[in-house]
Amino acid sequence: MRGLLAKRMKFHLLGAFLVSTGAAAIFKFAVAEPRKRAYAEYYKHYDPMKDFKAMKAAGVFESAPPK
Amino acid sequence: MANHSQLTLQDAASPIMEELVQFHDHAMMVALAICSLVLYLLTLVLSEKLSSSTVDAQAIELVWTILPAAVLIALALPSLRILYLMDEVNEPDLTLKAIGHQWYWSYEYTDFKDLTFDSYMTPTTDLPLGHFRLLEVDHRVIVPTESTVRVIVTADDVLHSWAVPSLGVKTDAIPGRLNQTSFLANRVGVFYGQCSEICGANHSFMPIVVESVPLANFESWSSLTSS
Repeated sequence: MRGLLAKRMKFHLLGAFLVSTGAAAIFKFAVAEPRKRAYAEYYKHYDPMKDFKAMKAAGVFESAPPK
Repeated sequence: MANHSQLTLQDAASPIMEELVQFHDHAMMVALAICSLVLYLLTLVLSEKLSSSTVDAQAIELVWTILPAAVLIALALPSLRILYLMDEVNEPDLTLKAIGHQWYWSYEYTDFKDLTFDSYMTPTTDLPLGHFRLLEVDHRVIVPTESTVRVIVTADDVLHSWAVPSLGVKTDAIPGRLNQTSFLANRVGVFYGQCSEICGANHSFMPIVVESVPLANFESWSSLTSS
């Protein structure tokens, strides 16, 4: 039992560090980066007039009724 | 608008809101790291893998002082960056005055002649099919896309707050005071918000709807409405 706490502490502190950075990394690569890419993709080929015409035809706008 | 099961922020419609969404992701990563660390250590303590009768441990005291300070700095720097970005002086293309009343908003486009109107919530009994309950109004705020809009917010009676989450705007409406905010709608669309300061019985029933349209359409709407 000599030095058991120190040994366990060393092992588990490393474990804790890996768990917390792992959780952050999973969030970053599963949520944050795809979200940034999604916004970039959306605006890369964004055509406001095309979007506007589609929404106008659907009757979404008060200032621009479909007909 | 938010859907019924929405847990996250609404899709951003302005550059500032995009920055805020990214900052929220950053802060969420930090919070997740800290919570998973605490949960891991808690599991160890509860399963008796870690216990101690130590009374003095200088090294770990140093670690758990320096590390939280570093985390706080990592949160503060992007936060202050966005704060200063929001405060940037930019020449607005349009100025709009939003006045809170019990229980409706009124809007004044003082850049134009005689363009003022009240905006009341559409009652549920009068709601057309497919429209959103408690969010639609009879007269929407029309703004041009990709143009900086300055909004001057005030109130006529009690405190209100003019908020549109997808544009990243929330500004208190205080009687006797003019508060200024600005936004730029990146894309065409309709953006919903609700009064965000308790103002009486119908506080939940005075929504805000901003409609972003191309400049040409905004100009034809403004000339039609002001005449």
